[in-house]
Amino acid sequence: MIRLTIDDQEVSVPEGTTIVDAAAKLGIDVPIYCYHQSLGPLGACRMCLVQVEKMPKLATGCTTAVSEGMVVHTQGPEVEKGRKGVLEFLLINHPLDCPVCDKGGECYLQDYAFEYGPAKGRFQEPKIQKVKDGPINEFVLIDQERCVLCQRCVRFMSEYVGEEQLLLEGRGVETVVTTVEHEPATSQFTGNVIDLCPVGALLSAPYNHKGRPWNIDRQTTICPHCPVGCPSKMTTRESHIIRMEGRPVPDRDWGWLCDRGRFGYDFGYHPLRVLDSTVQGKSLSSAQAMRDTAQWMKETIREHGFGSIGVVMGGHFTAEEAYWIKKFAEEVVHTSEMATLRNVPGYLPISLNGTFEDIDQTDTVVFVGVDPYEAVPVVHLKLRDRIRHFPGLRVIGVGPRKLTSGTLPGIDYQVLGEDEAVVFAQALLLAKGDDPTVQMLGRNVADYPLPVDSETLKTLGETLLNATHLTMLWDGENPEMEQIFKALTILRQGRTAVLPSFGPVNWRGYEKAGIPVRYEDLRNLLMKARNGDIRMLVLWGADLLRDFPDRDLAREALEAVDYVVSAQIRPPLDLPYTDALLPVAAWGEVEGSYVNMEGRVAVAAAGVQPPAQSRPTKTYMVGWARLFQQTFGVEAEWDLFEDIEGDLIPRNADEEDMTPQPLKRPDPVEDPTQWRVIRGELVLENGIPSEILEPRISLFVGRIHPDEAQALHIPAEGGYVDVETSSGTITIGVRADESIPERTLWVPRSGHYEWIASLNGVKQLKRREEVKSL
Amino acid sequence: MSQQYYLLRNREVPNIDEMPVYLAHGGYQALRKALNDFKPEELVDMVKKSGLRGRGGAGFPTGMKWGFLPNDGRKRYLVVNSDEAEPGTFKDREIIEHNPHQLIEGIIISSYATKAREAFIYCRGEFLFGSEQLKRAVREAYEQGFLGENILGSGFSLDLEVYRGAGAYICGEESALLESLEGKRGNPRLKPPFPAVAGLYGGPTVINNVETIANVPVIVTKGADWYTSMGTAKSPGLKIFSVSGRVQRPGNYEIPLATPLRTLIEDYAGGMLPGRQLKAVIPGGSSVPLMTPDKLDTPLDYESILQAGSMLGSGGCIVLDDHVCIVGATARLVRFYREESCGKCTPCREGTYWMTDVLDRLEHGLGTPEDLDTLADVADNIGGKCFCPLGDASLGVLVSALKYFREEFEAHVAQHACPMGERLYDTINN
Repeated sequence: MIRLTIDDQEVSVPEGTTIVDAAAKLGIDVPIYCYHQSLGPLGACRMCLVQVEKMPKLATGCTTAVSEGMVVHTQGPEVEKGRKGVLEFLLINHPLDCPVCDKGGECYLQDYAFEYGPAKGRFQEPKIQKVKDGPINEFVLIDQERCVLCQRCVRFMSEYVGEEQLLLEGRGVETVVTTVEHEPATSQFTGNVIDLCPVGALLSAPYNHKGRPWNIDRQTTICPHCPVGCPSKMTTRESHIIRMEGRPVPDRDWGWLCDRGRFGYDFGYHPLRVLDSTVQGKSLSSAQAMRDTAQWMKETIREHGFGSIGVVMGGHFTAEEAYWIKKFAEEVVHTSEMATLRNVPGYLPISLNGTFEDIDQTDTVVFVGVDPYEAVPVVHLKLRDRIRHFPGLRVIGVGPRKLTSGTLPGIDYQVLGEDEAVVFAQALLLAKGDDPTVQMLGRNVADYPLPVDSETLKTLGETLLNATHLTMLWDGENPEMEQIFKALTILRQGRTAVLPSFGPVNWRGYEKAGIPVRYEDLRNLLMKARNGDIRMLVLWGADLLRDFPDRDLAREALEAVDYVVSAQIRPPLDLPYTDALLPVAAWGEVEGSYVNMEGRVAVAAAGVQPPAQSRPTKTYMVGWARLFQQTFGVEAEWDLFEDIEGDLIPRNADEEDMTPQPLKRPDPVEDPTQWRVIRGELVLENGIPSEILEPRISLFVGRIHPDEAQALHIPAEGGYVDVETSSGTITIGVRADESIPERTLWVPRSGHYEWIASLNGVKQLKRREEVKSL
Repeated sequence: MSQQYYLLRNREVPNIDEMPVYLAHGGYQALRKALNDFKPEELVDMVKKSGLRGRGGAGFPTGMKWGFLPNDGRKRYLVVNSDEAEPGTFKDREIIEHNPHQLIEGIIISSYATKAREAFIYCRGEFLFGSEQLKRAVREAYEQGFLGENILGSGFSLDLEVYRGAGAYICGEESALLESLEGKRGNPRLKPPFPAVAGLYGGPTVINNVETIANVPVIVTKGADWYTSMGTAKSPGLKIFSVSGRVQRPGNYEIPLATPLRTLIEDYAGGMLPGRQLKAVIPGGSSVPLMTPDKLDTPLDYESILQAGSMLGSGGCIVLDDHVCIVGATARLVRFYREESCGKCTPCREGTYWMTDVLDRLEHGLGTPEDLDTLADVADNIGGKCFCPLGDASLGVLVSALKYFREEFEAHVAQHACPMGERLYDTINN
């Protein structure tokens, strides 16, 4: 630790700390523009001038590292003069736009001009004119005149994200920030530059001229679009969400968001939003719809007894809502037939669940089936942060396609999804075959043929065993991986952490509320429905045909039951089978708790009114209970935080069976004449409608190997193909992707295209000459 | 006046840029001597002893710079700064265009001394002919076995590459030069770490000016004692001065340091043009303060010039006569820095723009009395607050002009016109 004095106060900080950070520790504010802790020092803006005793001239606080016994003055006539001078320079070419600038009222340039700037300028010459409201891409605008050239945005994109899409062009006073080749920036993280910009140069296009700081409200929330659950702030005005911003959490989170989370907030008032209560094709009042549906419930219970109603949770509900549904099911309609809508079969015991702190300390990270850039983008950024601090980070991908990338380079083991666990088992057998746990684990799969040579596998096994801090990211596609995780925890000395990237986003919250979350639970429930044991399905945000992989079972179950009641924010694919479609309040419209992929609880505030007839879950539960002549208290009976220290769900290993079981041998490879269809989570394309995001969403969502794309004459941007499947020919848009193996068609796991649900038994892809409108 | 040339000794020899001619005139003998008779450390000691100081402008002792390289086994680089873009300076240009082999010989010796295995010449973008000359000479040196593997059987190997910049003054600043050489935007880097520790591609790097490197073979041939016999104790040896402006014989003159400024202008450069009076001298390139005629007897060494209120800089000596409007000349020079500012730091980027506009206004008779105070204050807000030396460099002439020729500025304001009448400034700018 280094001891120094700042403004007559002593402080001890680690070696290498800059003066501004040391001052911040004392609560002393040194004005800065270019410096950002996540990016490190630059020294460009010169705003942070401070006086250091024994230095001949003023020093920049952001580039000067502290030294033992240093005496720093952040005030004083010389410092004031220097800062005033820099501020005056920044303002000479800055337009007097404040009255029409989105940043007005929350702008560092205004704040510091108020503090240091002269009331009147001495600059009488013409200001340099540059581009105003030029595009960075569909979401971000740049006003080059307002830019103070702090380079935060350029450095964020090139150094932090690793995608060099912004640059400085020109030099001297003509320097501007622009995109490479003046092409739109395509990264998933471009929106962060809006938060990073200390002035009004980088603006959110959808928020442009929508509000000023004094006529908006801000709510603390989390992003509901993927299991990362990024801390964020929601800006609302007139009961509309009009902006999402990152919310930095000190020492834990920089407040980055992906563009999906930052700009996809408009599903609440999307034209597809379910606003009316529709019962058997008729639009009814909400009260009438509730009476009708309650009547069905009574009828079902009367005729088929308790347990004849099945409830499936999906969507983005809060843990509290899940609890109320469970309570309603058990106490009012007397059923224990509950499940969570799952789109992959995997399950992760909570005691294996890692946190993002594991990413900050990891030396080896393994992607099992998941590409974090597409599925959980901010985890990708967290890994970028890690690799910047720890360039030796080993990145390993195991899955049906290439999962490492240019920004997170590493080694890939490309195998079929169903063989993923076998790769690990054989790797462990080769590296530590004399261990009884390993022998037991690999008992059935030791001789299973894999397309990876044994030398490579052995290296993988050794890497897995010897890594000091192993972090694994898992998409849940291969349920056998649970045994691998359990075995690794036993075999390894260092910490083993697993981060599940599958949904629904709040599945841990549902689990905590008492709703069964395993895939098998849902499967059993649907089988009972198909077999006639369950006669009514209540689908709370769940869209079976869109998300449940066994579509045939889902369809048969929906057809078999007498009634399907579906509470949704958008029309489900189940709609043809739905007897009552009820509009329900969404994220942002009710307050509640979410548990993210770390098992960390966060509270999302409500900011806007549910539109039209959409009502909170609570209202439905209380209303139905009343129709059953029951009182239904929803207040203060259950508290998610009850047994929690801090904000993490307890890792109660004692309550879980942590003994690994032998892996099941995968079934032999499917029909070789068929194309393999692989699915991956793509958060940008996850089906929750957003008009703002539409320009970014590619029409060509399918992906194939570049050679095959060439053979089909698919242009670089993508083209349409006819896909011959077992259930007819489907026209879909595809594009070439180097990460996809041959004879493989990749599609998003869920999306707003209905055909995604019916891609079975793909025999052939054929080029489609004329473009069919979809 | 007896002109004795060492660095420019072959300037009258036709085709000295060709290998056979250079060899016939004793070329690469210093290299043989260095490789045969000296260990690398002995050469570093010799350069340290010679007191050779960087000729690019800063005057940092070369031997000391070489001594900063850490001994940690990483690959070392030698980079020659040939980005000579300082207005008024054209000494390096003569060496690389006229006698490139002398530079290459110096590079090989210096690389041997600093144990660099790869060397680069970063050539100014505008030096198209110069870079072609260098490339050809490098090719000849490879063919002759002076470059490549196992040079002259010594076991020492060196690769040398010529890289032409894209035309930016800022790339003469060593860290911006490295950025540009790595293919990035030529912005200066944060120091520390200094290039000796983390330079080109993060490796230990020596960066020296062309003239500095060209001194090395001469020192090897004639010895450090010979070198220190010239100049002063702190500023020993020889320096090339580029004299330009209203003198009879503008050009490059190689003189021992501590020669009086008067000798350079009146003897070597032949004095002022007929009928013209000396008004001011910028002795070290456009970045240094003006000197008035009463300082004409100042010896041209680093310390004396500093004492006289200016700097030796790169040795680009610009002579202004009584027909030159100081305001116009200042405006022109400040405009240069406005054009060449990289834009990274605020005071330099915005300040040079502001000063240029005010000076333009003043020159055209549109100034106000407050402008002079504004100019002085803007200069004060730039001075010492910029990221790299370019911002300070833009102030040298302006601050000294305001100090010594304030009445000329005031006359522009009072008469609402340039009192010199002659619109030289406009002629230059159009």
